[in-house]
Amino acid sequence: MERRDLHRLAVPLAVVGGIVALAAAAPLLPLADPVHIEVSARLTPPSEGHWLGQDEYGRDVLSRAIWGARASLAVSFLAAAIAGIAGTALGLLGGYFRGVVEILTVRSAEAVLCFPPLLLALLVVTLLGPGAGTLIVALSILYAPSYARVAYAETLAARNLDYVVAQEALGARSGRILLRTVLPNVAPPLLVQFSLTVASAMVLESGLSFLGLGVVPPEPSWGLMIRGARSTMDQAPWLLLWPCLALTGTIVALNMLCDALRDVLDPRGRTVSANPFRAFVSGLLPATEPAPAPPALLRVDGLHLAIGHGPGALPAVRDVSLAVAPGETLAVVGESGSGKTLTGLAILGLLPPVVRVTGGRILYTGRDGTTVDLARLGEPALRRLRGDELSMVFQDPSASLNPVHRVGDQVAETIRAHRDLSAAEARRRAVALLDRVGLPDAARRARAYPHELSGGQRQRAVIAAAIANGPRLLIADEPTTALDVTIQAQILELMAGLKAQAGGMGLIFVTHNLAVVSEIADRVVVMYVGEVVEEGPVAEVFGSPRHPYTAALVASVPEGDDDRLSAIPGVVPPLHDLPAGCRFAPRCGLAEPACTAGAPALESLGGGRSTRCRRWREVA
Amino acid sequence: MLGYAVRRSVVALGLVWVVATLVFLVIHLIPGDPAELLLSQGGFAPDPAAVAELRTQLGLDRPLPVQYGSYIGGLLHGDLGHSLLDEHPVAEEIALRLPRTLELIAAAALLAVVFGLPLGTLAALRAGGPADRALSVLAGVSMSVPVFVVGTLVVLVFAQKLRWVSAGGFTPFSRDPLEHLALLAMPAATIALGLAAVVFRMTRSSILEVLGRDYVRTAMAKGVAPLRIVVHHVIRNALIPVVTVLALHLGTLLGGTVLVEYVFNWPGLSGYLVNAVEARDYPEVMGIVLVISVLFVLLNLAVDLLYALLDPRVRHA
Ligand code: SF4
Repeated sequence: MERRDLHRLAVPLAVVGGIVALAAAAPLLPLADPVHIEVSARLTPPSEGHWLGQDEYGRDVLSRAIWGARASLAVSFLAAAIAGIAGTALGLLGGYFRGVVEILTVRSAEAVLCFPPLLLALLVVTLLGPGAGTLIVALSILYAPSYARVAYAETLAARNLDYVVAQEALGARSGRILLRTVLPNVAPPLLVQFSLTVASAMVLESGLSFLGLGVVPPEPSWGLMIRGARSTMDQAPWLLLWPCLALTGTIVALNMLCDALRDVLDPRGRTVSANPFRAFVSGLLPATEPAPAPPALLRVDGLHLAIGHGPGALPAVRDVSLAVAPGETLAVVGESGSGKTLTGLAILGLLPPVVRVTGGRILYTGRDGTTVDLARLGEPALRRLRGDELSMVFQDPSASLNPVHRVGDQVAETIRAHRDLSAAEARRRAVALLDRVGLPDAARRARAYPHELSGGQRQRAVIAAAIANGPRLLIADEPTTALDVTIQAQILELMAGLKAQAGGMGLIFVTHNLAVVSEIADRVVVMYVGEVVEEGPVAEVFGSPRHPYTAALVASVPEGDDDRLSAIPGVVPPLHDLPAGCRFAPRCGLAEPACTAGAPALESLGGGRSTRCRRWREVA
Repeated sequence: MLGYAVRRSVVALGLVWVVATLVFLVIHLIPGDPAELLLSQGGFAPDPAAVAELRTQLGLDRPLPVQYGSYIGGLLHGDLGHSLLDEHPVAEEIALRLPRTLELIAAAALLAVVFGLPLGTLAALRAGGPADRALSVLAGVSMSVPVFVVGTLVVLVFAQKLRWVSAGGFTPFSRDPLEHLALLAMPAATIALGLAAVVFRMTRSSILEVLGRDYVRTAMAKGVAPLRIVVHHVIRNALIPVVTVLALHLGTLLGGTVLVEYVFNWPGLSGYLVNAVEARDYPEVMGIVLVISVLFVLLNLAVDLLYALLDPRVRHA
């Protein structure tokens, strides 16, 4: 547990702890008798002997508030504990034995969930009569099923864990293993569940007492105090204040504790701020600078990208330059973490908000012949280009399509975002596009939802949307990675075909798959930990690499066509701990002291080739 | 879609039957004789003759299957039995009071959505900003204040001190629509406070999650306008969990309005239920529990169908 977590927990934990301690210490404190009636002093305001005044029977309010905390807390904690133990046991049994036992335990516990909670509690009160004991029974029944569900799910998950299966195969007593495996796993969610249960049990307890169906007078309880104060609120409204404050404050503290516990124990819920949309709506970058030497299509000049701000910022991409001519296919290859995807996103201005452009230019010459720097273009202008002149296809077609809209509509959406067309006309064009990307029976498929298509068909639909407006530049980020091998080949064929038809369209193909590169690309840029290490025509770079990393990549390609670039010894260094000098040095067989002394520059070799290795002549 | 609706309805019907049977079993299988329990208030052992008489009156002396048969038969005819105290038909009283409770819940839900949904969306789009933080704290507190505390304080401030409205009560819509609405406003707003906080939190986290999805990035890559992305791609997907949670809470409210109706003297089911529980009038309690639970099941059915309407993937599951 990190220190930040402890800080988050500290305040609510201290408040809840304080309340519990106060309630527990009630008999030891010099308090007035909470049930002592003094009718002559009814409704007297706070005085020296009675700090919070006296209630409608002249009883001491402070004393009743503290003793009332005892009743509320005892009922809630006991009920939560009983429900927790019983529910967890039911869930474990159900998950372990399955079958009939499961029906008898988990499923029948869930029947309780068919009833609204307060109603069920009232039903129990009808049967058993009001009182603290009844409340505990009612609340335990109410909350046991939630525990049962949690424990059941965890047990099922643990049953399938490899080592449980393995130990069972070795003849170990599976019951004991399961208990040892499951209990530590269920502990965090059950802890959260417990604090939730205490909070909501307290709300129900006070509510029932308020109705006169919970704690029996004259015993003090916050709900009863509010009930009593309510009847005299026109004469003594301050009497309402204390029990209301005590009750609300305790519940606020308990809920804060739940939230903090959940955040600490379940870190998945914490990734909140990382959405690209905020940058998207608020991101108005500075105005365009005059661009020197306009490229025919796209040229990235010395691009730097940083993750985060200030001194802790990580250099995700450093000094990356690349160019694409009209009609050319440029492959960008590298392992994950090489910065290839971020570079692609930067071109379209779609970087996640934590990533910033810290240097360089992205020069683009548009349809109208003017050149702009995409890195400094305002969001409205960028948006006009995106989907029209610049397009992107992402890795996972299932995630790229919105599950609740028809495929055809999602293709039509690209057209209508940029062309003033009727919905019917856009839909007609969408069908034509789907037909063009080889979707059989396109008219019918256009009306299908994404989940009704296969993975390959989905990627075809995504590509159709990307080329809908005849873009000048298409960026494809691992468009075949999520697909199986035969489908991969079909999609590649489709993209090559589309490019041939489109004539001048430039294509940037981001991938880690060298076989794909040689199949589709004219030129290749090899990236390693945020830097370009080698660049040149595909055949030459792969035929005679001039950088040890490229050489290792080429050597690692197996005979088949599914390579994973994993055979290079050593690991990719993390961004926060980059080696001095050449970033590849720790994994490089040719490394010499000079390599770690200073970072090698990207050296031009002529013929459109360049490398970032001082010993390139020696690379075999 | 139709096939899905039919399948879900069949399941819901089954659940209704399960609920009815459970209610029957609860009263007949729990340890102790209901007749004896009923007469033993005050700590005195009841007179055996009186118990026997009550057993006959309740039909408890017949064999269990026979009792079950006549119970289910009665239900099929809309007969929920009669009050033990005054012989009044339970179904009639429920028919009179249920619409008032439903009206209260509907008004509260409407208010909760009207405030919770836009504010939740705003907070998500400005996540981490001052507006988001302020709203989140506010929601956290609103969720924590028990509804009867809010209600009591509302009565104290708006009725007793400011005298803007009367302290509670009910006027039929047909007699005076304006006064009817004025009296509805306070209890509805009281329920809506906590409910709006729930809707707010759910909307916020759900929208944040959807904003991070690939298809939102894809829509951005298509050059779609920001407003259209929010409305067309984000909200509809984000709405799915919100609808579920809201419906779950509405179901809880079916029983939970008891407290608010009590505080504001709203003559819905609750006053009836509380009296019945106090008097241990079994047929009345059973009838109300049954009706509300069936509504609860039907509400869940409605949610499932709405869910399918919003998310095409569900229809095929
Ligand atoms: S510069 Fe040195 S360490 Fe880096 S790749 Fe070349 S030989 Fe290896």
